[in-house]
Amino acid sequence: MGGDAAWRARQRAKRRRDWLIQGAGALVLLALAFLLARNVHENLGARQIKSGFDFLRDPAGFNIGELLFDYSSRDSYLRAFAVGMSNTLRVALAGIVLASVLGVGIGLLRLSRHPLVAGLCAAFVEVFRNVPLLIQLLAIYLLITELLPGSSDALSLEGFALLSKEGLQVAVPESLGPSLLAVLAAFAAGAALGYAAAKRWLEVGAGLVALAAGGAAAIVAFLLAGAVAGWSRPVLDGFLISGGASLTPEFLALWLGLSLFTAASIAEIVRAGALAVPEGQWHAALALGMTRRQAIAGAIFPQALRLAVPPLASQYMNLIKNSSLAVVIGYPDLVSIGNTSINQNGQALEVILIIMAVYLSLNLVVALVMSAVNARVTRAPR
Amino acid sequence: MPMRHTIPAALAVAAAAVALPAHAGKTLDAVKARGQLVCGVNTSGPGFSNADSQGKWTGLDVDFCRAVAAAVLNDASKVKFVPLNSQQRFTSLQAGEIDVLSRNSTWTLTRDASLGVVFAGINYFDGQGFMVPKKLKIDSAKKMNGATVCVQAGTTSEKNVADYFGANGMKYKPVVFDTAEAITSAFFAGRCQVYTTDMSDLAGARTKAPNADDYVILPQVISKEPLGPSVRRGDDEWFQIVRWTLYAMIDAEENGLTQANVDQQKATNKDPGVQRFLGVSEDTGKLLGLDKEWAYRIVKQVGNYGESFERNLGPNTPVKLPRGVNNLWTKGGLMYAPPIR
Repeated sequence: MGGDAAWRARQRAKRRRDWLIQGAGALVLLALAFLLARNVHENLGARQIKSGFDFLRDPAGFNIGELLFDYSSRDSYLRAFAVGMSNTLRVALAGIVLASVLGVGIGLLRLSRHPLVAGLCAAFVEVFRNVPLLIQLLAIYLLITELLPGSSDALSLEGFALLSKEGLQVAVPESLGPSLLAVLAAFAAGAALGYAAAKRWLEVGAGLVALAAGGAAAIVAFLLAGAVAGWSRPVLDGFLISGGASLTPEFLALWLGLSLFTAASIAEIVRAGALAVPEGQWHAALALGMTRRQAIAGAIFPQALRLAVPPLASQYMNLIKNSSLAVVIGYPDLVSIGNTSINQNGQALEVILIIMAVYLSLNLVVALVMSAVNARVTRAPR
Repeated sequence: MPMRHTIPAALAVAAAAVALPAHAGKTLDAVKARGQLVCGVNTSGPGFSNADSQGKWTGLDVDFCRAVAAAVLNDASKVKFVPLNSQQRFTSLQAGEIDVLSRNSTWTLTRDASLGVVFAGINYFDGQGFMVPKKLKIDSAKKMNGATVCVQAGTTSEKNVADYFGANGMKYKPVVFDTAEAITSAFFAGRCQVYTTDMSDLAGARTKAPNADDYVILPQVISKEPLGPSVRRGDDEWFQIVRWTLYAMIDAEENGLTQANVDQQKATNKDPGVQRFLGVSEDTGKLLGLDKEWAYRIVKQVGNYGESFERNLGPNTPVKLPRGVNNLWTKGGLMYAPPIR
């Protein structure tokens, strides 16, 4: 067994050498980073430019137009950044949901044998994928602000929804907290019931059925809560529309722009995934007596999903990063708040570092979630 | 297309910060060696700096850049104008991309003390105001409770408006854009009921309205906005040149020296003050590192402060601003320059 021992010794030596080389590499990198940081610090000092993160505790002094939680100009920069981050998260999440629904739908419909449907979907993809997002955002924003009426003669849906230059306002049930809980509970119950029912009576598509059932239950619960608690309707009050829930034109434009742009790419990913499923799978599904629709839902889509999840993850990350285009249309996202902060206190390096750290963490979370999803959909077939 | 430039500008600062420290006192040499002054101006500020369809720059701030070039390089046309938005301006100056920032910027303590820049003087006494559509029938800033307010990112206006509404117990919703062009288009489209910025900017923006008479600028002025040129810190020679260029323009007006009469005055005026100013008797330029005719060239090639004001902002221009507090101190205004002697 002498040869074996010698082999193991060589392996150990090799491992040690690898560790040494990598350790030395890491040390060099660290030293470089340290040198860079020190040089930046010294040079900023020499130019008498203030530096450091102390400013985060100072009062920010500016107001923000869209708030998910309380904030006033007397609050700290830290809180202002939190507001910016929450606005970025809000538009990114809403965008990911809408882009996914639209993208999957359009991607599958593009496979339709009906030429009008397939053609329309192809046109959608080509238009929204090939025009720069910045231009789309500016165009949508211009349409909203130019075409919609002013708040005094807003388009009204029986007083339940108002659409104007102030954005979209929707009536919500009074006592919003309990109502929201009821809606969430209804969604969970509906989804669970739908899932169980689909498992029992349907071969495929339980997830989609569960989503649809949950959504329907949530809408019913929302309307019921409104009927019971009474509606808080949007009304014009001086300049502003108060009451109800409000989506500003800036949010609407950014949300729509991001969703449409990303949906076009997602549609292509879904279509590519579906087309990459071997033709034999189609024939097999049809030979088993499935209808075309059943074949798509039961055989093609699940396999297409496997191919689509990794590129989907990068689309979601792109959407998050693209949300920084908010600044051109005045939506107060993280970058917009960062811009304002830079100009109030001049600490560009620090603010840019914060912005980079936030986007990096957000996208790492997306990567984690999506790789978990990927692990699930690529499990060996049942 | 208005794009975001903050991040590139910030990276430029980062790059500058990473590089070796710059030597102080070199700006004058650098400008002379280059044969050109690089001057940061506004992307679009009617009356202050505006490029026409041929790319020719005009405005009060533009004239100031030309005056510095006339004093330093003997030629007012040797200026490269770098249009900057409000977010890029100080970073650009810090990073050494421009020699002078002449871009209607408000002189405040924070900017003077913590940005690595120093203000050389005041070439326009301004204040922040409000513009509203006439049809809203708002006649006072106190009646704006609940309004949506359009404001430009990276300006002192953002903070002033928060202070003003807070102090008066009023609420408002800011919509923050990063360029003046984006604001004016959103405001004239009706997205905001109120546009707030410096009074002079409001007057300029109003000229771009589809129908200027549909909009009214409210009388309330909610802040002091002394606008002036600034330079990088740590180069005192250059700072002095920029500061005294401004003073020379003001003193020239006080002495009655204009572009039209300066040659004749130089030949005939026996006033010792005027002779000193024009470099006929003493050499004041030597003390600044310039030649003796530096101030003469400013008047000859660019004109005095009053001429520049009338040409760019006065009643005969689209902006139509009254001289007001920006008149000479001898005529009831605030423009006062230390004597050149």
